[in-house]
Amino acid sequence: MMTGFWYQIKNIRRDKLCILTFLLPVIAGLGLHLLPGMNLTALSEPLFGVICEELPSGTETWLRGIGKVTVYKTENEMRQDILEPSTQMIGVRKDGQNIRTIISGDELSLNRKIAGLLPKLEQNRQFTNSIYDDTQSSANPDLTLSILPAEDNRDTLLSLLAAITMVTAMFMGCTFNAMSLIKEKEDGINFINEILPITQHQYLLQKILLGFLGGILSATITAWICIKPQVSQMPFLLLLILLSTFLAALTGLFIGHFSRELMAGIVMIKAVMILFIAPPILFYLTLPADSSLYTLTCLLPSSAAFYGLMDLLTAQALHPLRYIFPLVCHCAAWSLVFVFIKRKKLSA
Amino acid sequence: MTHHFFLLLRKDLRLMLAGKFFLLALGSLLFYSLYINLFYAKTDQDIYPVYVYGTHHTLPKNMDAIHFTNSLEELNDKCMDGYSVGIDASGENINIVMKSSDINTIDALRVQYAESFLQYPGRIDEADKFLSNFREPEKLIKNNSLELKNRREITCEFLFFELAAVGFLGLASLMFKEKEMGVIRVYGILPGNVWAFIFSKLTLFVVSDLVFCILLTLINVGWKPCIAVLPAVLVQTGILSMIMSLAGLLCSVCVSDFRQFSLLYLVLAIFVTTPVFLVGQTSVKLDWMLYHPMYHLFMQMKGAYFSSVTSGFVYYAVCTAAIIVLLCAVYRAMQREMAKEG
Repeated sequence: MMTGFWYQIKNIRRDKLCILTFLLPVIAGLGLHLLPGMNLTALSEPLFGVICEELPSGTETWLRGIGKVTVYKTENEMRQDILEPSTQMIGVRKDGQNIRTIISGDELSLNRKIAGLLPKLEQNRQFTNSIYDDTQSSANPDLTLSILPAEDNRDTLLSLLAAITMVTAMFMGCTFNAMSLIKEKEDGINFINEILPITQHQYLLQKILLGFLGGILSATITAWICIKPQVSQMPFLLLLILLSTFLAALTGLFIGHFSRELMAGIVMIKAVMILFIAPPILFYLTLPADSSLYTLTCLLPSSAAFYGLMDLLTAQALHPLRYIFPLVCHCAAWSLVFVFIKRKKLSA
Repeated sequence: MTHHFFLLLRKDLRLMLAGKFFLLALGSLLFYSLYINLFYAKTDQDIYPVYVYGTHHTLPKNMDAIHFTNSLEELNDKCMDGYSVGIDASGENINIVMKSSDINTIDALRVQYAESFLQYPGRIDEADKFLSNFREPEKLIKNNSLELKNRREITCEFLFFELAAVGFLGLASLMFKEKEMGVIRVYGILPGNVWAFIFSKLTLFVVSDLVFCILLTLINVGWKPCIAVLPAVLVQTGILSMIMSLAGLLCSVCVSDFRQFSLLYLVLAIFVTTPVFLVGQTSVKLDWMLYHPMYHLFMQMKGAYFSSVTSGFVYYAVCTAAIIVLLCAVYRAMQREMAKEG
């Protein structure tokens, strides 16, 4: 068994591209870590566009208090930026004693509603001070405010990018195994493998091991760069990496088993990659963390791994059971399925 | 010459059919369309939910925008997500409860939004004078909606990724296979034209990319907006497809172990296109993005989908130059390979 493994190591040692592939997530993690001054939290702030010296200074200061204000020289420039689909800017113009707003009409409901409310909020501001700004002079003495501080979480979007990099690192085992199996198939080595005196378990282990170890190495180094885990987080992180990477390596074997040639393999890898990376991000951003639907999405292995990583990155309380249990089940079930398929094929 | 070209074209088409290339493209199309129609088209974010407990006289009795809770615990529980706002109106004083979102401006807006539901006698009298002045926001695009915008945005992104990552590998893998089969060696001793060899492959892949683009846009953007944007989108698809296919062809001829290279490329594509998508689709600004060639290609593609950007002469000149340089490079590489093999 070790001899087979040794031969495979020898095989990839000469393959610089392969080593580079495993190193890529590490490089991306480093780049992410070094990304200077990219404040991504500000992304969710409302954006307002105003025209130079048109609004009363009080209104402009107020707008700066509730969002990010960009000042334009002419209305045309402002309209162009409002129309720009990548931002959700709300244009604010003077309208008698109040203001009126300009939007492009395809913004998120949040921003459309803010734009609709802005004149009303401005009018409230003119007659009563918000308790948020100044409790003393508020016109509503019977109003109090209690804001609980946010948990000490790091930049969410940066964490999101770090988690994506980590998931990609874990995924490397899948691509590696799939490619190596397809290569064996194209070269005809798989026929030789079928008559070699090794058991199915040995074959499975030997095939899965290299991609698995590579994935673990790649993911661990990336995790060390991106997360900088504390000692108490180590076991959870390690378990998460171990299980997810194993699952990815196993997925690679499935892809290798079912695809006849290189192109089919590439397309399958791409599909699996999108299918496994996109939904967790989408669910994470759209579903509230305590809803039952969110817990249900943990059944998807990549979601469980992704949520676990995000909890680690944003320093949330950990839910080991919630994330580890589905992963363990998946690992066991799919290994059995793979062995079964292989055995069936051999007997056929 | 023409006859020769068509013969090659037929051979390449058969090779593509045998490699199930079209079947795989169809699979991708189905996959993308399902994802867009079932998930992405409907994504939206609603305004901060307001939860209320109690019946203070300043509160409106029933209103769609606010949700009443049955106990103080429920209220506290509901507004702990850093997004919702709670109004505790059970006592003498009204207390606004919420968890900070970590961004001051958003917290201020959330408080003011919640405050706007409270009605104070003094304020209403004063405010009434202005009430008639409230105007609905002016909409610059009348017939556009969030869903249509989402559809355009994601279709553009998928098409770009498909062309940049898979388009590159499609032609390259076909070429790699031929190389392994020894076609280049055979071709080296045949009295054929190398240009015909390159163009037959290029034509097939560009045409199949164009068809893919038409179908993807038609299914996911809807036929009416599709017809409006299609000419511009097809031009950009043609340019991108040509550049990526030629680059793929060049790599498959030059790189010896293409299999591992394709793996590297697939991962590289994700890391290269992620910042492009990030800058192109959100308000993130990165200074070095201007030197990223993919960024310009993506922005042109996006401009075509939103029929907004009119690309200048410089862009087309650079693209044409790039295509010509790539063509020459592929020609030289092929000749060298033939000399080596022959």
